[in-house]
Amino acid sequence: MRIGIDLHNHSCLSPCAHQNMLPSLLALEASERDIKILALTDHNSGRNLPAFAEACEMVGMVGVFGCEVNTIEEVHMLALFEDVHVASDFCFYIESLLPRIRNVINIFGQQTVVDIRGKILEEVTTSLYGAANISVDQLVNQVNNLGGMVIPAHIDRLANSLTANLGFVPDLPYAAVEAIRVPCHVEVHGKTVIQGSDAHYLEHIGRRCCYIDADEANYPALVNALANSAIFYRGS
Amino acid sequence: MTYEKLVTALQYRLVADGDRQAVIEDAYAGDLLSDVMGNANQDSVLITIQAHKNTVAVASLVQIHLIVLCNDRKAPEDMRTAATEQNIAICETTDNQFVAAYKIARLLGKV
Repeated sequence: MRIGIDLHNHSCLSPCAHQNMLPSLLALEASERDIKILALTDHNSGRNLPAFAEACEMVGMVGVFGCEVNTIEEVHMLALFEDVHVASDFCFYIESLLPRIRNVINIFGQQTVVDIRGKILEEVTTSLYGAANISVDQLVNQVNNLGGMVIPAHIDRLANSLTANLGFVPDLPYAAVEAIRVPCHVEVHGKTVIQGSDAHYLEHIGRRCCYIDADEANYPALVNALANSAIFYRGS
Repeated sequence: MTYEKLVTALQYRLVADGDRQAVIEDAYAGDLLSDVMGNANQDSVLITIQAHKNTVAVASLVQIHLIVLCNDRKAPEDMRTAATEQNIAICETTDNQFVAAYKIARLLGKV
């Protein structure tokens, strides 16, 4: 059966996302749009993963946990894990690799950590917008060693992508690559191409979800489908 | 001018050896490697802060003989190994890209 997946979404913790992007609303809204496997991937941080995990459990969503790392090459890469605790630890490590620059709220927006009800628990004062001191190659190695998955984000975008910043997609053990438009004409070395909503606003949720062919909605089925290119796009 | 003469004149730290016979004719400053790939001339020096091995891959495509890493960025071991394999030299400096570009432009007779 076809199972809706969306592996690229932001919450109110990401400086560029809307403050009403509560992790709980993300899970709820995605579930209403028939997505069964959903990831939260804030910029360089995983501080809203606990609320997201709780919300996923409440709405019967298979949560995938991680962040969108801005590497030293200023390339955006999704680092994803099955386990929320492993993901949280890894995301704190990524945060520790960021330059200590204070966020400027009126330019970049707020960076709020919330609970499942949307109550603000903390405002992150260090800018999450910077580049973490980790290379693409190092990130792929470290995440894979922890049992996670790396998916280069929006490889066909003209900013913060492998194609734009490096000029090519290095042939590394990614679980898949994410493109905004399919079919994607970038050389991806046979990797599975997925789409992701990169939702920063509630109305973005599900806009570029895609589907896997699997018997059940769970993390191993996702990994298997990505490895076997068992992917369908919207409208296909 | 060979890269050795250039690096000696600049007093930059050479951290990977390259093609000693290659003559450097031009230079390009850039951190967006897709731009470097599209616009750098062959037989150039690349002035950049991109201290990772993918810079070597791009340099080899456009026949860049020397990568100058600015702002005291250090070439990681895998970058130095890749550079040695591709016969591309790497040097490091505390100069920023503007200062390095000016010094190199003078040495190459571009200004």
